[in-house]
Amino acid sequence: MTTERGAPILELRNVSTHYGLVAVLRDVDMDIYAGEMVCLLGGNASGKTTTLKTILGYVTPSEGDVVLDGNVVSGMSTAEVVRRGVSMVPENRRLFPDMTVEENLRLGAYLRRDRSAIEAARETVFETFPRVRERLKQKAGTLSGGEQQMVAMGRALMADPKVLLMDEPSMGLAPILVEQVFEIIKKIRELGKTVFIVEQNANMALSIADRGYVIQTGQVVLADTAQNLLQNPLMREAYLGEL
Amino acid sequence: MAARRWVRTGAFAGIVTIFLALVGLIGGFTDVFLIGDEVTFAGLMLLLPAFVAGFVAAAPRIEGGERREMSLGEAAVAAAVAAASAGFVFALAVLFTDLIGDERIRPIFLNVSPSLMEFVAFGQSTVVGAVILVALSTMAGVLGGVLRAAPPVIRRPVTAAVVVTVLFGFLQRVIPIALDQLSLERDWLYHPIHDGLTWVGAAVVAAISAGISLLNTRFGARVRGSLSSSIGGRSGLAMSPVRLIASVAAVALLIAAPLLLGSVISEVLGTVMVFALLGIGLNIVVGYAGLLDLGYVFFFALGAYSLALLTGATLNVYGVPPDPAISGDLNFYIAIPIVMLIAAAAGLLVGAPVLRLRGDYLALVTLGLGEMVTVLVGSPWLVPLVGGPSGMRGITDAAIGGFAFRDPQRFYYLALAFVALAAFLSWRLATSRIGRAWTAMREDEQTADAMGISTTRFKLLAFAIGGAIGSLGGALFAVKIGSLTPASFQVIVSIQVLGLVILGGLGSIPGVLVGALVLVGLPGLLREFEEYRFLAYGAAVVAVMVLRPQGLVPNVRRSRELQEEERAQDEWAKAVEEGETPGELGPPAEVTT
Ligand SMILES: Nc1ncnc2c1ncn2[C@@H]1O[C@H](COP(=O)(O)OP(=O)(O)O)[C@@H](O)[C@H]1O
Ligand SMILES: [Mg+2]
Repeated sequence: MTTERGAPILELRNVSTHYGLVAVLRDVDMDIYAGEMVCLLGGNASGKTTTLKTILGYVTPSEGDVVLDGNVVSGMSTAEVVRRGVSMVPENRRLFPDMTVEENLRLGAYLRRDRSAIEAARETVFETFPRVRERLKQKAGTLSGGEQQMVAMGRALMADPKVLLMDEPSMGLAPILVEQVFEIIKKIRELGKTVFIVEQNANMALSIADRGYVIQTGQVVLADTAQNLLQNPLMREAYLGEL
Repeated sequence: MAARRWVRTGAFAGIVTIFLALVGLIGGFTDVFLIGDEVTFAGLMLLLPAFVAGFVAAAPRIEGGERREMSLGEAAVAAAVAAASAGFVFALAVLFTDLIGDERIRPIFLNVSPSLMEFVAFGQSTVVGAVILVALSTMAGVLGGVLRAAPPVIRRPVTAAVVVTVLFGFLQRVIPIALDQLSLERDWLYHPIHDGLTWVGAAVVAAISAGISLLNTRFGARVRGSLSSSIGGRSGLAMSPVRLIASVAAVALLIAAPLLLGSVISEVLGTVMVFALLGIGLNIVVGYAGLLDLGYVFFFALGAYSLALLTGATLNVYGVPPDPAISGDLNFYIAIPIVMLIAAAAGLLVGAPVLRLRGDYLALVTLGLGEMVTVLVGSPWLVPLVGGPSGMRGITDAAIGGFAFRDPQRFYYLALAFVALAAFLSWRLATSRIGRAWTAMREDEQTADAMGISTTRFKLLAFAIGGAIGSLGGALFAVKIGSLTPASFQVIVSIQVLGLVILGGLGSIPGVLVGALVLVGLPGLLREFEEYRFLAYGAAVVAVMVLRPQGLVPNVRRSRELQEEERAQDEWAKAVEEGETPGELGPPAEVTT
């Protein structure tokens, strides 16, 4: 399916991940190319979060490699992987609730030293989410769910990552906010970011992504363009729920 | 429904009073006067639980998700019910004791003394005494309740007046010495016979503290506002004028204290400074990095013993220095950096195995590590190194060209200098990138990782720096005492230091000083209370956790929230004064996070 576009920016090569003796990911292969938006779909406990945690170095794969920009990063510490250009918008947003929005954003750029670049990243965040600018001095824990999601994404963007990981950004949000969040993700995509997004809301995710993977109990069962996945009868039955 | 809750609160307070009586805090203190010849410490202990019960019973309730303040009338009723119950429970206990005879209870509870029985009967028959007891408790409780329900413009000055006056009463051995030293008249303030405050003195102290508090409540926010906006809104500088003045006065007092208070009190203050150092160190580990370390005595002992070894101390058993291969004869000021380096390395060593542990597990393992030190320094096997149970002596007096620092007043200044240094370092750390990383890590370790913060490194760094500062405390302690025995390095040291850090406010450097003064200084200054020291610790820490979880002097992050809180309260208070109805708002919730 993939057209010719050089080496992928992020690759999972035959990755298996265990928690103790339990295999949570089995022989997972994925490629993400620069500028793409790829989604990872799957039901509860299928291993979506674990995939992201494996990429970010929270867990080390028991087999296989995570390759970022041609370098194997599996086995490295999370801080090192982040330093090499991966940022995550965690499941449930996970802002630092007692810090202000401003402090949360600043932490997103923790590894960056170049003040003018940080300032530029802030401006980008404000342009993308004007609401965030208004809330700078507010404690993150007191924001609404939608606002928190914007700050979480802004915080991840502050690192100017090569690859942006998002773990179920629509989780726990009212339907109207879900729409908003996907609007935001579209904006991020317009910034030219490479985005790898984990979702349970397959319809929404496929409507904005280029390609998608579907995993079931830790194994990739489908990999195709978003367009094809939307048409796929198996998908329609299992995930799209014929909405 | 509500009445049952009030009674329950009161009954609990009554049981607390019984407890205080049984441990001797009432009967043993009938002649410790706080004010005049009427208010004794025993009386305070007798009525304080009822007062607190009233205060608690009148607290606002959350009903159906709404916060509901009590009106003054409601508060008085609630408090009266609670406090009367407290008095009733205690009176029952007194009557019961009298019925079966206090001499039959005394073999079990030594403190049920005749003087206690006489005191709680107010010199009357037991039954009359019981009635008076209930009546007085009720009054104390109503005061507490009304105070709780009163608007901040009243509540804050009154609270300040009461707390400061009682504190002055407690400082009856300290302040008069200073007044004498300054050749000031003291008899108007402190009673020449009873030692406590005179009524005139108490009134003056109360009036002044209430006045200051009132000024702060009314104008504090405004001045603070203009101050902070003119300095560019930096939260660290946005102090109320009272705070600013208080800080300057505190620093002046810290510098002048030994000269004003003489040798005996300076001795206690020297210990306070050693504990302040330990507190500043542990505060980095617990307050900044959020790692609960119950084995901090490890660094205290390490500092003390390695200083002893490096500066040519002798073993008590043999009267000679340990093997030259492991000891030296260095100058104190050369030894100190080495001691700190050793401790920092030890911090890394201790930190590494416990990195993956969190919360309770970390606490338990560090507790064990601390205990190992106690056992090790006292073990027969280390006699040739650190003297075993009989310890070491002849530790350096840190002299600079013949000017020795063992004298309590001089030692205080030496310790103060190190405290100032450590405080400065700690403050710089807190406001640096490292401090930000610690804060993030403390609030959410996993997310901090995702920001690229290497939590492993920052944990180790906290252990190393905290350990180095702790060892400095140990080294100074060794200089102060001049000799070392394992008895000084028990687990209780870890607990004391943690207690003072929590009491002062996690993450707050001034809080550490205040905590050390309250927990180490006060008991040291009031010798009668020596044996109740740990009881007071426990009570103080529990009280702070319940009533003021952010600590006595909270750190900036938390006090920022508090200031917003105050501003809201100030606005509310102003609205009340100007005769506007503040609407549904009422004074906002006390910050309890
Ligand atoms: N830290 C862990 N230890 C053990 N098992 C885990 C851990 N985290 C997740 N799991 C298990 O791994 C499986 C996949 O989890 P996860 O990746 O979080 O699923 P998803 O994000 O798709 O809902 C689940 O069965 C879950 O119980
Ligand atoms: Mg998940």
